Amino acid sequence: MKTRLPKWPLLFLRWFCREDYLDEIEGDLTEIFFHRHEHSPAKARRQFLWNVLKHFRPEFIKPIKLKTHHNRAAVIKNYFKTSSRNLIRNRNYAFINIAGLAIGIAVCMTIFVIIQFQTSFDNFHSKKDRIYRVLTEYHHADAAKLSYGQSVPFPMPKGLKTAFPQIEQVTPIYASHNDQLQVLDVNGAPVKNFKEQSGVFYTDPSFFNIFNFPLLAGSYASLKDPNNVLLTKEIAETYFGDWKTATGKTIKLTGSYRVGAGLFQFPPIVLKISGILATIPANTDFQLKLVIAFGTDFTGDRIYGLQNPDWNGTSPDFGCYVLLPPNISADNFNQQLRAYSRKVQSFDNKDSHIIQPLSEVHYDTGTGNCSNKTISHGLLNVLWMIAAFILSIACVNFINLSTAQAVNRAKEVGVRKVLGSNKSQLQMQFIVETFLIVMTAMMLSAVVTILALPFVNRLLELSLSFNVLDSREAVLFILTVTIVVTALAGFYPSIVLSRFNPVNALKSKLTVNTAKGMSLRRGLVVFQFVIAQVLIIGTLIILKQMNYFMNQPLGFDKDAIVNVPFRPDSTGSKLTDYLRQQLLSVNGVQAVSFSSNTPVEDGNDSWSTFRFNHAIKESGFNTIVKFSDNEYVPTYKLQLTAGRNLQPSGPTREFLVNESFVKSLGLKPEDILNKEISIWGDLIKCPVVGVLKDFNDRSFRHDLAPLLITTNSTMYRQAGIKLATTNIASAMQSVKKIWEHTFPDFVYEYKFLDDKIESFYKQENQLAQLYKIFSAIAIFLSCLGLYGLASFMAVQRIKEVGIRKVLGATAANIVYLFSKEFILLIVIAFAIATPIAWFCMHYWLQDYAYRIDINWWMFAAGGLVAMVIALATISFQAIKAALTNPVKSLKTE
Amino acid sequence: MKHHSIGEFEELVLLMVAALHDEAYGVSIQENLVEKLSKNINISAIHVALKRMEDKGFVKSRFGGITEDRGGRRKKYYVITALGKRILDSQYELRTELYKMIPKISFSR
Repeated sequence: MKTRLPKWPLLFLRWFCREDYLDEIEGDLTEIFFHRHEHSPAKARRQFLWNVLKHFRPEFIKPIKLKTHHNRAAVIKNYFKTSSRNLIRNRNYAFINIAGLAIGIAVCMTIFVIIQFQTSFDNFHSKKDRIYRVLTEYHHADAAKLSYGQSVPFPMPKGLKTAFPQIEQVTPIYASHNDQLQVLDVNGAPVKNFKEQSGVFYTDPSFFNIFNFPLLAGSYASLKDPNNVLLTKEIAETYFGDWKTATGKTIKLTGSYRVGAGLFQFPPIVLKISGILATIPANTDFQLKLVIAFGTDFTGDRIYGLQNPDWNGTSPDFGCYVLLPPNISADNFNQQLRAYSRKVQSFDNKDSHIIQPLSEVHYDTGTGNCSNKTISHGLLNVLWMIAAFILSIACVNFINLSTAQAVNRAKEVGVRKVLGSNKSQLQMQFIVETFLIVMTAMMLSAVVTILALPFVNRLLELSLSFNVLDSREAVLFILTVTIVVTALAGFYPSIVLSRFNPVNALKSKLTVNTAKGMSLRRGLVVFQFVIAQVLIIGTLIILKQMNYFMNQPLGFDKDAIVNVPFRPDSTGSKLTDYLRQQLLSVNGVQAVSFSSNTPVEDGNDSWSTFRFNHAIKESGFNTIVKFSDNEYVPTYKLQLTAGRNLQPSGPTREFLVNESFVKSLGLKPEDILNKEISIWGDLIKCPVVGVLKDFNDRSFRHDLAPLLITTNSTMYRQAGIKLATTNIASAMQSVKKIWEHTFPDFVYEYKFLDDKIESFYKQENQLAQLYKIFSAIAIFLSCLGLYGLASFMAVQRIKEVGIRKVLGATAANIVYLFSKEFILLIVIAFAIATPIAWFCMHYWLQDYAYRIDINWWMFAAGGLVAMVIALATISFQAIKAALTNPVKSLKTE
Repeated sequence: MKHHSIGEFEELVLLMVAALHDEAYGVSIQENLVEKLSKNINISAIHVALKRMEDKGFVKSRFGGITEDRGGRRKKYYVITALGKRILDSQYELRTELYKMIPKISFSR
């Protein structure tokens, strides 16, 4: 076999080496190679490569010269000049192109800002990769089912510290809700009242060793001592006016804590401000306001406290975070933790504990987190997809219009080709032109985004800002979008345009209706309308489901009922009797009931295990427990199917149950009456006196849950007031007066029940709003493209229309001529969009236990909407074409 | 007159070109130098030196015929010019003169 020179080094040499030296150098190297090859082929090859590399030096390298000898700058200047002239000449197309792209890019940018914000949650902690949340893994009777909760048993943090000394930090965190706060003066007298819905946390200094929340004054270590509290700068300013003077002052806190099924109130405690935290960033799930030393009151050694040495139950709102050392992996630790759970828990408790990385906490919609602002990865992906689709609709407009217009540019291309430009230069020219348009659109879209963000912030209750110079990601994003859009939108037209045969182009033999170009444009129009119709149909179904949420009968009365929280005192019924009497004397108040909460709650219910009818073991399912007086049933218009309502009573005497409860036990409503039920480990034992007709006691995401209702005046937290529909405002004024008079140190608040129910579906509502906007933009952009295409067609076919009219076609015929093709395209798009929309929406609806059926008319409506809007767009141009005088269009050449 | 400078390695190559009169091309120069100096010299160094000396006018080149073992590439033969010879002479004289200036004493070891 003939020996060959090493291929790649040889090619490299020939690539870089000057022609006039190549003979000598390649010849010499070849000679040496063959000479060496006889002794050692491998060494020869190595040597050859080495020799080639040694020759890679300035003396032998080809001079770097431009391939073309044109004046580059002048050429590019010419590109810009012709491009801008062309844009100005075709103002309408340029406007459609730029506006369409700008809107598409603006949607993309807005979604980018939203996603950037959502994915930045808690990523500023320096040890974020080693921070984990401890979760409780609930094992249900149905062995295949697992669920997770963020609450852990009270002994967990301490237990972990002793059992796993290798863990760097462990911190307990109790998230308190609905705390009443009073600012005290130097003598301890109350000055101002505040209420914090959330943001009051109990934790220890190690929390700040794990997470990075800078301190402005005081020390983290002060949290070692009970009754110390850190305030954020904002809260300190609200409470005291100036945060610098707040340290050392005192506040009084009246709060409640949950244990098992009950919400308990603890006596007011006085807290001393021992430090000020810097402003908490928006992108954290720990929206701290007041951070109270762990060990204060019920978190410490008070007997009524959370403190429950029991490992077998979790304390609600009580969580635990750990910081693992770098050398321990989460999997490894989870194994140890499971074994530990087995060890400390009783034998029949199958629950276990696992740790979850901090990076997953914000996306865990199932478990939730401290801020209850989670967003699923699925939703983020859907947003990305919508951004991509809307951008592609805008690109399609661009492609359609540029290729349709190609015939107008044919002469220019012909002349350029005759004068010696080659294909790649022409392509370059059109890419530059596209780039010019994209850049203009990009600047416009930045303006649009900045204007749109306040609106988006209001809609989504976020605080987003768009600052390009602020983040590297934003710059990268804008660069990527510019390049991708230029490539997507500019590539195909540039190829089409540069392909023209100059002879044909100059002889005007080109027509735009070349079969291939037309079918591509048709395909693109179909693509646009598929996206637009999927979005429209999806929006319709979401809106229908939202409507269903609000209008579906719940099984109880929710209209004109207002809920006002109050604070029970030790007098029990005396206070409620007084309030009831006062309220009923107000003109317009029809009924008053005191209760722990309303008939429907979203995750704010107390659940309990129970024993039925003296059974030895507890029943296999849990039940919601609500406490209310005997007025609950008439006030909320609940229906009884068997037995009677509760008797008036302060302490607990009797139970009402719902049908689901009876059904879950496998009984008939009549059979359960007078049977005994015991809850809270036999603390409460009473007979069932009545069965309520099922009503929706949870949001429509969930099925009906078993329910117990009983009296207990110490557990009432709110009044439910049924108002007459006339004069609501004046009645509410009177209620406010009664409250301010009775509870002077209490912040008065109220909420209408229907508003509260609406708030269960806030995320869906926001999503629906967002989809409405997106589908409107999608259909607008699609129609923008269609309008451009139709107007172009009208110009192209003006002679044809003239001849048809001369031969007797009516205006209607002409309009039909223009419309029929587009109608066909939209029908095809509809046929493709329907199954896609059905599939996506069917999947979405699976999240809800109560959901609408997807009906054919929703699709029909979506299709019809798209069709009507599209036809309206086209008909404008079609009618204009149909009404032109044929004499005019035929006379001129 | 323009000052003609020559490096040590260039001088060696130039001497070899002169010595191999009419048979001097890259590979033959390299092989002979390697033999005489018993030191490895890369061919690229020879090429660089030849190019520089050609620019300075110390050598002239011409292409030879195509031979099989060079993959169809021509040889480039170098011959020394009159200027090159003058440079070599002056270098030789300079060295001899300097050598003669060494006093006749015994040198420390």
